[in-house]
Amino acid sequence: MATYEDCVTEIQKLLSEKVAQGEQVGEDVDLIEEVGLASLDVMELIEQLEDVFDISFPINELGDVRTIGDLARRVQQLT
Amino acid sequence: MSLLDKLEAARSFQDQLGELGVNAIGATIDVVGSATEGRIDGRRVVLAGTNNYLGLTFDPACVEAAVQATQNHGTGTTGSRLANGTYSSHAALERELAEFLGARSTIVFTTGYVANVGTISTLAGPGDVIVLDADSHASIYEGAKLSGAEIYRFRHNDPADLEKRLKRLGDRCARTLVIVESLYSMLGDIAPLKEFCEVKDRYGAHLLLDDAHSFGVMGRNGRGLAEELGVEDQIDFVTGTFSKSLGSVGGWFASRKHDIGPLRSQIRAYMFTASSTPSVIASTRTALQLVSKRCDLRVRLWRNSARVHSALKSLGFNLGADASPVIASIMDSPEQAAAAWQMLLDAGVYVNLVVPPGAPKNLSLLRCSLSAAHTPEQIDHIIDAYALVAERLMGERRAAVAGAV
Repeated sequence: MATYEDCVTEIQKLLSEKVAQGEQVGEDVDLIEEVGLASLDVMELIEQLEDVFDISFPINELGDVRTIGDLARRVQQLT
Repeated sequence: MSLLDKLEAARSFQDQLGELGVNAIGATIDVVGSATEGRIDGRRVVLAGTNNYLGLTFDPACVEAAVQATQNHGTGTTGSRLANGTYSSHAALERELAEFLGARSTIVFTTGYVANVGTISTLAGPGDVIVLDADSHASIYEGAKLSGAEIYRFRHNDPADLEKRLKRLGDRCARTLVIVESLYSMLGDIAPLKEFCEVKDRYGAHLLLDDAHSFGVMGRNGRGLAEELGVEDQIDFVTGTFSKSLGSVGGWFASRKHDIGPLRSQIRAYMFTASSTPSVIASTRTALQLVSKRCDLRVRLWRNSARVHSALKSLGFNLGADASPVIASIMDSPEQAAAAWQMLLDAGVYVNLVVPPGAPKNLSLLRCSLSAAHTPEQIDHIIDAYALVAERLMGERRAAVAGAV
């Protein structure tokens, strides 16, 4: 089972491929409003996390995910 | 934040499109003269973006059937199917469609969108699982969301990715509805349906196929991709539309494997909306007969599609898929796509302009859809118009390269 920190690190790494300074994005920063990801980018990020951690992430839970911390917590639960 | 901020956001999105020279709510077709000709902004154009695959919108028998039905049964039913909105013609269409498809039963809806939203949200519910192709139509996403089921996406047209997800679900596969389309409307690519069937059977899941774009277009008898691949008996549920190859409007839900009749009293999108008008049902029934009898229309459609696909490829366009009646050219940017779309319109050819977020992967597309009714001269005209666009784009690229040097 992955740790919360593992999940945060992986999300930041994947984000760095999508946005400049992605690795610097803090855990409490809003992925859409502050990082500026479009909903399709978020879906793609989730697809990548599913592969890395061998999980399936229900997309109807996306509404509850606003920050990297939210996403990391849910990914950790699914691992 | 106010509720009305959404209006501002929508206005700003429209303004952005306006800056590209694009009317956000679509081009207005002033006059439609035939299945393939119209007038837009005062220009005579060849219509090459209407999904009118078999060109039946002006078929004399279909038009006559609609006129007769209006005269005999009025302009509308003014009621839902469960109240006063089921006429004998609605029931006849359902029987004829079931016979055509070899289905145990069918249910007819007012639109294809409603058919997907209604059936998906009823077939699956809380505690169930929906696993859908990432490039699914908006109506599939909406139906899935409304169902209350857990929803997972798999990578577009990727049976191995579907298998990974079903494997993770384990015993829950028995409560899982997998949803794919046959021919995808934006890029014109075709699903590996046989492989999808094998995967879902291996894990004991159920499959719903949205056959909006291959019904009437593929298969020896026009029963779609599943007929062409010989997998009709493996598919649990099929939805489709009358608004493409059948040239009218409406949706349907069918199954060869299961008796879906009892769902009639469960599907809210069936129970609480007005039924199709008598004219629509009448022209649809006539068109359905033509789909089974007129194989020549499919031959012409595919011949036209192959000609345009091959010509556009030779012109250097980056095409979304192999030849099919939907031919999408992937453009470099929304601005370039909008300029090219306008050039085509000025040259007398109407295609669909698709800019983000309308297409998968945020692509900008010139989406052309062919018809059996396009004449060889109209196909030449379409190709010539694209050649003008290609010439200009290549000129721009040459200029950019020269500038870089």
